[in-house]
Amino acid sequence: MTTQINVTETLDVSGVLCPLPVYKAALALKRMEPGQVLELVCTDPGSLEDIPAMARQRGDTLLKTDNRGGTQVFWIEKGTDL
Amino acid sequence: MNTELKITPQLTTDRSAERYDDIRELLPDPDHPSPLVRVNRVAADICLYLKLEWLNPFGSIKDRAAAYLLDGLQTRGELADRELVEASSGNTGIALAALAALDGIKLTVTIPDGVPEEKKVVLRMLGAEVWETPDSLCPVDHPKDGAIALARSLAASENGARYVMPDQYENPDNVRAHYETTGPEIWRQTEGRVRAFFAGFGTCGTITGVGRYLKEQDPTIKIVGVEPQKGHRLPGLKSFVESNQPGILDWSVIDDVVQVDDEPAYNTTKRLWREEGLMVGPSTGAIVHAASGYDLVPDEIAVGVSPDSGLKYTSYFAQLLGGDGMPRI
Repeated sequence: MTTQINVTETLDVSGVLCPLPVYKAALALKRMEPGQVLELVCTDPGSLEDIPAMARQRGDTLLKTDNRGGTQVFWIEKGTDL
Repeated sequence: MNTELKITPQLTTDRSAERYDDIRELLPDPDHPSPLVRVNRVAADICLYLKLEWLNPFGSIKDRAAAYLLDGLQTRGELADRELVEASSGNTGIALAALAALDGIKLTVTIPDGVPEEKKVVLRMLGAEVWETPDSLCPVDHPKDGAIALARSLAASENGARYVMPDQYENPDNVRAHYETTGPEIWRQTEGRVRAFFAGFGTCGTITGVGRYLKEQDPTIKIVGVEPQKGHRLPGLKSFVESNQPGILDWSVIDDVVQVDDEPAYNTTKRLWREEGLMVGPSTGAIVHAASGYDLVPDEIAVGVSPDSGLKYTSYFAQLLGGDGMPRI
């Protein structure tokens, strides 16, 4: 059984290089409410490690990742603001 | 009624009357230099002059670099119809914002977090978009200087079609600004008698450009760089322990480096306000502190840069002063 993820906002940063994806994702999460979910679409290879690390540092939860042949999608649930 | 009488007679720029057609005509050059003022009390044992760069039209030494950077982009046709993006701890951004506004060019400034609120407000007043970022922006294997990395990634985005980055850290136009203006000004203002020059490490355009010019006049002139400590609170200065060395830095023109802690830098800044009437920013305090403790011949002329005024750092100074600011009764 798969759990449905209710996406609050989608941010597509395809073609954008590090550190811009991290910056834009952090900005989007900052604007959101705890419990809301950001769907983040990236193509920068550095994001594979940076986005999960950013989520950990911020206290957010990485619900799921999906690799779609060069494109990486992250679903991040916003935690309580630090 | 004679409508011609309503027309104001046209005046043109007359520097002898201090009348200008355009704010850019107030940018300093060897014929119209920024002032050189003696530090009489705080550095009483030496003959130290400060070059008051905060009297430039946009308020700092970065007016020179910004003008050269923008002119270089325009002259080489690199700007096209693109927007500008630049990493700055504030002053280059402010000068670029003013100059860009005059030409109707949009500017985004990436700025390290911790820069005083005053600078961010000034940037926004000038119409710049401000992107504040921590230096440790990418959590994994992050580059130093997050603001620089962010500006470069913005410039590279959209295949470079939207933004162009002057890149004051790598652009020789920054050095050229000081080689062609600040250096010759100091040489002329001291009648060729300057024996030592002190400037902070930031983009390193000032120390490289002035150092190169002065060394060409007299290779025995001492060029001294002032470097803050890691984790410092001296905006505009860089510690190379935590920041990358800019590509434009030329070590061959630098004789020595003095490291300065925040506390003596801020204490010297306070003394410059209270004993000299010099309302300078904290980097000037660091530079004067470095010069005061340096092994200088007392009657030989030393020149230090005063990069900007303290009015953009009042929130920092409030912490320095402590208390609630109420009079004691």
